[in-house]
Amino acid sequence: MTGLPQDIQAQLGAAAPGGIDYSATTSPHGAVTAWCGLGNSEDILAVGKALLKLGARLAMVSALQPAAPEEAEEEEEEAPAEGEEAAAKPEKAPPMTFGGTPIDGKSYEIDYHFVLGGDFLTVVAYVASGGAIPSLTPYFRSANWPEREIMENYSLVVRDHPDPRRLFLDPSIDASALERLIPYSTLVNAASTKALWDQVLAAKGGAS
Amino acid sequence: MSASAGKTFTIPVGPLHVALEEPMYFHIGVEGETVREVDIRAGHVHRGVEYLTTKRSIYQDVVLTERICALCSNSHPETFVMACEQIAGLEIPERAAYLRVIAAEIKRIASHLFNLGILAHLTGYDALFMHAMQVREIMQDVKETLFGNRMDIAAMCIGGVRYDLDDEMRAYLVAALDKLAPEVDALAQTYRRNRTILRRSKGVGALTKEQAIACAVVGPVARASGLEYDVRIAAPYAAYDRLRVTAPTLVDGDVWSRAMIRMTEIGVSIQLLRDCLRDLPDGPTRLPGRPDIPAGRAMGKCEAPRGELIYFLKTNGADEPERVKWRVPSFPNWDALPFMLRGAKIADIAIIVNSIDPCVSCTER
Repeated sequence: MTGLPQDIQAQLGAAAPGGIDYSATTSPHGAVTAWCGLGNSEDILAVGKALLKLGARLAMVSALQPAAPEEAEEEEEEAPAEGEEAAAKPEKAPPMTFGGTPIDGKSYEIDYHFVLGGDFLTVVAYVASGGAIPSLTPYFRSANWPEREIMENYSLVVRDHPDPRRLFLDPSIDASALERLIPYSTLVNAASTKALWDQVLAAKGGAS
Repeated sequence: MSASAGKTFTIPVGPLHVALEEPMYFHIGVEGETVREVDIRAGHVHRGVEYLTTKRSIYQDVVLTERICALCSNSHPETFVMACEQIAGLEIPERAAYLRVIAAEIKRIASHLFNLGILAHLTGYDALFMHAMQVREIMQDVKETLFGNRMDIAAMCIGGVRYDLDDEMRAYLVAALDKLAPEVDALAQTYRRNRTILRRSKGVGALTKEQAIACAVVGPVARASGLEYDVRIAAPYAAYDRLRVTAPTLVDGDVWSRAMIRMTEIGVSIQLLRDCLRDLPDGPTRLPGRPDIPAGRAMGKCEAPRGELIYFLKTNGADEPERVKWRVPSFPNWDALPFMLRGAKIADIAIIVNSIDPCVSCTER
């Protein structure tokens, strides 16, 4: 079982015309962990094809919405204390990822974790809010479930997925679960707070 | 009966089923007694633990991740702290590396014996089931004695381990292994020769090597189909690079092969434990203080009892991680079930499902 080839960076670069942002570290035990940011998220298909040829296994797909830079968050929480600064901030454009997707707390980062031998190669695609990404399932069977999970957790569209049903969440549950704030009492069906008691009282017409 | 010949029917298996330890719903199309179509519908124990990890501090998450699953409970915090240590650039003490191996292998033995016991139970051979569980009890006692708990052993922490072995405990563990080894050998003989076991598991639920690669399966399921992949060998962690790990493989990919891989691995684990106890170096069991985890991203991976467990951790310098994502070995292994079940008899469904040693609470999180 062999790990990543020596010229992996060149191979990835050739597969992704949108440009790549490659970095790699080697553990004391000799295992390589490589990261490859994509300039254009559409390149994931070509990169996936190239990695399939190398015999890579798609082990996991993670999605997240990178938080907007801290200043923007503090602005809301501590606005009275930092009134002067807060006024200046809305003008500032959010920082960009490699490839120019704004990190505004709403854009997506999709990490495709490939395993080759004992090595990791994570291909990172960035998609702006409201965007879409092509499905890797036609090339990797193992992309099927992770992509379905991403579709139920976020409003991100996975294009051309052969089986875009819900995976874990029931169809009756509202879409993009991880993009909404769900109060804990709702999550546990009011089983742990006095909300349940309030519901009972309300059903009885408010009589106590 | 003639009217129904050649017609297919749909039967439900699960979500709650006497033969399944955890809820999973199989929508199965059958023709007579033979399975033709399989659709797996998951989500009955989805708890949103991934979301919870981002609402707790990294140190609390060591505790939280141990509660994702029971049988591989130790592997979750083990891999999570490995990812944390990568980001912080920490090198754990030598003694801690060996103690991590000891904790992991004890859990592996107990987990494999549980699955082998259930196989006997599902074949209707309950005397063997109880015997396997009785043998497993040796390891349960070991866990209770060494860690104070029979399932969640709380052995891992960022920068090392939370337990230590004194001379008395080492002697106790050696004695327990001496007691366990002949029992496991006897069990192995039974699983190799007993006709009930052989009839119900040989040639049942086969997964070819090509299918195994396509489904990206890992662990004993992959090794029973001829894929030589074990994280302890491919990307050694803790003290595995200094120990002699062997990964048994078989080629038939049937229920019996998967059971025998687990049986053989118990022997490997016993030997690893003996080697660790012999070589256990002196020194601290953990780094002093509570290490800070800076902003960064890391991948952790270990060989859990069911196979390769992967953690992706992204931090931004805050106490709470920005994102923790993990992929348990059962997750890709589910996908192999349609291949294993197609053409199988209805009576074998439960045995085949159990042969991937499925962990639903791990898969759904």
